[in-house]
This record gives sequence, structure tokens and C-alpha cells, in this order.
Amino acid sequence: MRLEVRVFSGLEKYIPGARFGQAIEVERPEGTTLADLVDSLGIPRDQVFAALVNGRHAPLDRVLQPGDRVSLFPPVGGG
Amino acid sequence: MPVSKFLRVNTATREVKFEEVPEKYLILGGRALTSQLVFDEVPPTCNPLGPFNKLVIAPGMLSGTNAPSSGRMSVGGKSPLTGGIKEANAGGIASQKLANLGIKAIILEGKPQGNDWYLLKVTPAGAELIPANDLAGKGTYEVTAICRERYGPKVAVITIGPAGEMLLPAAGVTNNDSDGNSSRYAGRGGLGAVMGSKKIKAIVVDSPTTFDAPLKEAERFKAAARKFTQILQEHPVTSKGLPNYGTNVLMNIINEAGALPTRNFHFGRFERAAEVSGEKLAEIAVARGGKATHPCHPGCVMRCSNIYPLPNGKVCAPIEYESAWALGPNLEIDSLDVIGQLNYLCNDYGLDTIETGVTLGVLMEAGVIPFGDGEAAIKALEEVARGTPLGRIIGSGAATAGRVYGVTHVPVVKGQGLPAYDPRGCKGIGVTYATSPMGADHTAGYAVTANILKVGGYVDPHKPEGQVELSRDLQVATAFLDSTGFCLFVAFAVLDNPEGMPTICDLISAKYGISFTVDDALELGKRVLKAEREFNLKAGFTSADDRLPEFFKLEQLPPHNTVFDVRDEDLDQVFNF
Repeated sequence: MRLEVRVFSGLEKYIPGARFGQAIEVERPEGTTLADLVDSLGIPRDQVFAALVNGRHAPLDRVLQPGDRVSLFPPVGGG
Repeated sequence: MPVSKFLRVNTATREVKFEEVPEKYLILGGRALTSQLVFDEVPPTCNPLGPFNKLVIAPGMLSGTNAPSSGRMSVGGKSPLTGGIKEANAGGIASQKLANLGIKAIILEGKPQGNDWYLLKVTPAGAELIPANDLAGKGTYEVTAICRERYGPKVAVITIGPAGEMLLPAAGVTNNDSDGNSSRYAGRGGLGAVMGSKKIKAIVVDSPTTFDAPLKEAERFKAAARKFTQILQEHPVTSKGLPNYGTNVLMNIINEAGALPTRNFHFGRFERAAEVSGEKLAEIAVARGGKATHPCHPGCVMRCSNIYPLPNGKVCAPIEYESAWALGPNLEIDSLDVIGQLNYLCNDYGLDTIETGVTLGVLMEAGVIPFGDGEAAIKALEEVARGTPLGRIIGSGAATAGRVYGVTHVPVVKGQGLPAYDPRGCKGIGVTYATSPMGADHTAGYAVTANILKVGGYVDPHKPEGQVELSRDLQVATAFLDSTGFCLFVAFAVLDNPEGMPTICDLISAKYGISFTVDDALELGKRVLKAEREFNLKAGFTSADDRLPEFFKLEQLPPHNTVFDVRDEDLDQVFNF
């Protein structure tokens, strides 16, 4: 299945050619979890502080669905 | 060591005097002090620009010590924007200097006759009013530069721009960072107009020391300060997130969460948000010889500011998230250079960036300026300094602009523009916007933490359940933190570390030689909120003022298609303590 991944705030350094905010299209088998995706992208799990799937927070064991928009963040804050 | 004093300035008689601090105010500082003094001394029904309002400027309880990130300053009074009580909180270097001079608060009162402007000069030798007609009409950057040339290169300059002189209700009070940038604003609620009504153009604060405010128990204080520094350096947000990309690191996560108010609060995502985000800002700032990280005052360990060189040779330092949003995605503007220019002009004219951005959004809604047209926005904003009718409308805030142009889609509460989180996509912050005595103010109870940033637990941002409790707890804790002089951002670490609050209380105990507990801290927070609520009630506010504009209940926000559905009767339970 096809997934749309975005990485931000420094996580892009783990993915060659990636740029913050730019959608990366990836193919993964059905049943792939968020944790599987993070591992397969080469991002250490402890660097992912917040993961959004279609704009909603999701736990790492979430089973992803075709076409999901996945956004990965390190710790961020401000205001 | 200086004894703690109030510096009271009667602007009608031009009498300047130092007063002993009455016992009830002795340990208070920051918001607790400004709000209590306003409550005690300002009639709630007074005209905010008349003789009975007062402008109170107070360093925090711990400002001027070596507690990390404790140099915030509170400015208070009755707000000409909301008609209620106001505390606006700023970084910059004035707070630490005031505290080192032993000044607990500056109180500007009365109303002068005539058109002469004055400057209040405060040094270790005393305080005096100096004629300042030569500074009138000048922008804040120039005023600050002139004052630092005249009175010393390290002085702090608290000042207003032309907007404050014109008594416009979106005018803020600014002071400068160590580099002399007059960009550290007590921005919200029109307190710049209150200062303008007192005919005080600037307050120059000259102190030889920064970290030497008196401590009752110095050794204990030092140990607690070290521990608090460590707490900030251990939390991922205060040690990495904020220092790396500044507050504008929020742009992308709020956008991805679908809560980024876009096109005057019509959409929750802006497709070009990454172009105006903290990541992009850091790239450009560094490439142009600016800085991606910078402290607003000495002794800050989070250093969330930045220095953004503009194409026109000027420097906007910093561009914060709220400003980047208000002047960017809110207007469908996707250029940091345009945002930086608008931000610089707001700083120079003496305007609150949030209120100005929200007002420009309403003008775009009305068709006065096209959405996305940065050049038109800059031209319109430039009219503020010239005092044209359109300029004065922009400086009067979003509620006024909506009335003038017949716009109903106006995002304000108590007359104050909403900040950078749509309450339909982040309902906890919606509760804070609706109920804070300050009007729509994100800092008053920053529920974005648990709703979106996953700090201090997690409360689903789309569900109404749990938001009232979340907002209440945060509003109480914030009323306390705003009184300490600590930057509110210490809350990111304090919320997740059980030792955070006890360490802050330990610092207060050691500074004042008292026994101050976490219960005392929460009690103080509640007392501040009660005084502020009471002031507003006496000023004529009712529960009808604790509501969001109705379009947030009626119009769904894409992409999640949610509405704000926290019930009115639940909003009325926020202050049930």
C-alpha cells in the first residue's frame, strides 16, 4: 500500500534527500504498523516524540491504512 | 542592597516618588502584583484612557536573580481593547534591571493636561521625568537607539510607538533585548495606549547589575537554581525543541494537526505552512548571517528567539510563531520575508502582532485587501504610522474592523483577537480563549500542550470531554507562573517533572525567607484569577462574555470538520473554585 510520509524539525536528516514538510511517497505491505514504518525509514524510535496519522495522534502500534498521511515529529513546543 | 520600593509617578502633577511596599504586596511580583494593584487602585468602570486608570509595570517574584529564564516582566492596567483587566507579559532586559534597582513596580497614574511628552529615567540614584517631545512620533527602534546613545549602551528602554501615542487599542508596550532590538512586547490588550494616555513615551532603566537582586538565603537559592536549570536542560522540549528552531517550530505540527487557522479561521491547514515554519526560518536566518537561536534576556537557557535579516537590510529579531501565523497563514501569506517586514513594522509602530494580523484577516475577509497579497498588507499597515482612517482602523483591532466593514466572521473574545490555534481543532485552548479574564489569550492556559504537543498528559483535542478541567488547571498554574518572572515555557518541563513545582517554590522560599509550598503556589494562582474575574464583573462582564464567537459552533473546520462543542454550562464551571 502507498503511504504519504512527512518528517519535520530535524528528523529529515535520517532520510536521504528528504526535506521538512515535503511529502514522501512510500510503498509498504498491508499490516504495516507505525513502528514498522519508523524503523524502515531508519529513524530511531526514541527520536519520534509525536506521530500524527491523518492529523490525529496515533500510538506506534497503530496498523496503517492505504493512503494514510503520516507526520513524524521530534519534541516541539513554543507558543 | 536596595530596599524594595514602588515607584509612583503622578503624570498630572509630574510628582515622582518612591514608596515603601505595603506588607500585603511584599512577596508578590509579575502578574500577581499588577493584577492586585489594578484591582485595589483602579475603579473597574473607569475609562481605560482616563485619569483613573493606571499602568503598572512589575518584574516577577524571582526576576533579577540567577534563576534560569526568570527575567519576564508584567505590564497591567484596564484594557482599552477588552474593557477588562489586563496583564501582558514580556521578555527583554528591563525586568531584571528593575528588580536589581529594588523596584517592585512602577505605577503610572493620573492624566496630564497639555500635549507634552515625557521620559521617565530610572537609575540607582533615583528617578526623574525628562521632557521628551523630541521623541514623539518616532518608531520604537529609533527611540531605543537614541536612548541607548544618550543614557548608556546597556540601558533598557520601555517604550511605545506612534500607535500608542495615538491611543489605538491594539498598541503594545515594548522593551529591548541585549542587542537593542525593541521587539520584546507586552503586546496584548492595548496597554501601549494606556501608556500613551499618560504621555510617557519611554522609561529608561539603567542598572549596573542584572543578577544581584537580594536573596534571604543565598546558598539555598543557588542550589535550587542549579537544580531548576538541570530540569530545563533535561526536558526534550526546553532543551532541544525550543533552542533548535524557536517557537515557530510549532507551525508544522499545528498545521499537520489541522488546527492552524488559515484565511481568517476558515481552514485548519495551510498547504504552504512549511514555507513559513521554524525550520525554514532557521535556514534563511543562518544563510543570511542571522541566528536561529537567541535569548530574549540574559540567563535564559531555552533561547527560543531568533535574528532574521530582512532583504531591505533591516533585522527582525525575533519572528515568533504567533506573529508568523498571524501575519502569514492567517492571511494566506507564504513568505517569511513579507511576514518579517510586517512584524518589523508592528514592532516599530508599537502594535501587537497578533491583534494586527487578526485585524488584517478581517480586512481581507471584507475585501479591503486581497488574501495572500503581502505588498498590499504592508502598504495598509504603513498607514498606521501616518494615522489615516484605515491605519487607525487597523490599530483599533479586529472587533472594530469587523464592525466598520460589516464582517461577522470575526475571531475575538472580549474584543481581543484569537491567537494561532483554531478552537475547533484544539478545544482545550478554546476553553481558555472563552473564559480567560484576559480575552482570547493562548498563554493564559496553554492547553495545546496536552491537546497536541503531548506534554503534561494527553487530552483528545477533538472531544469536549476533559477540556474544562485541563484549561482550569493550566489557568491556575499559569497565573502563578506569570507572577514568578519565569518564562511560561518552563511549564513544558514543569508539567512533566514532579520536581519542577517544588523547586520553583524552593526558589521563592529562599529568595524571601519564607516557607512557600506548592499548595501556596496554586492558592496564589487562584487568588490572581479571582481578583481578575472580580474586576471584570465589576466592569460589567457577564457569562455571555465567556463565549467564543458563534461561527465556531456553526461552521465546520476542515480537514477534520469539527465544531466547537464544549457546552456553555461547562464553560461556566472553569472558575468554580
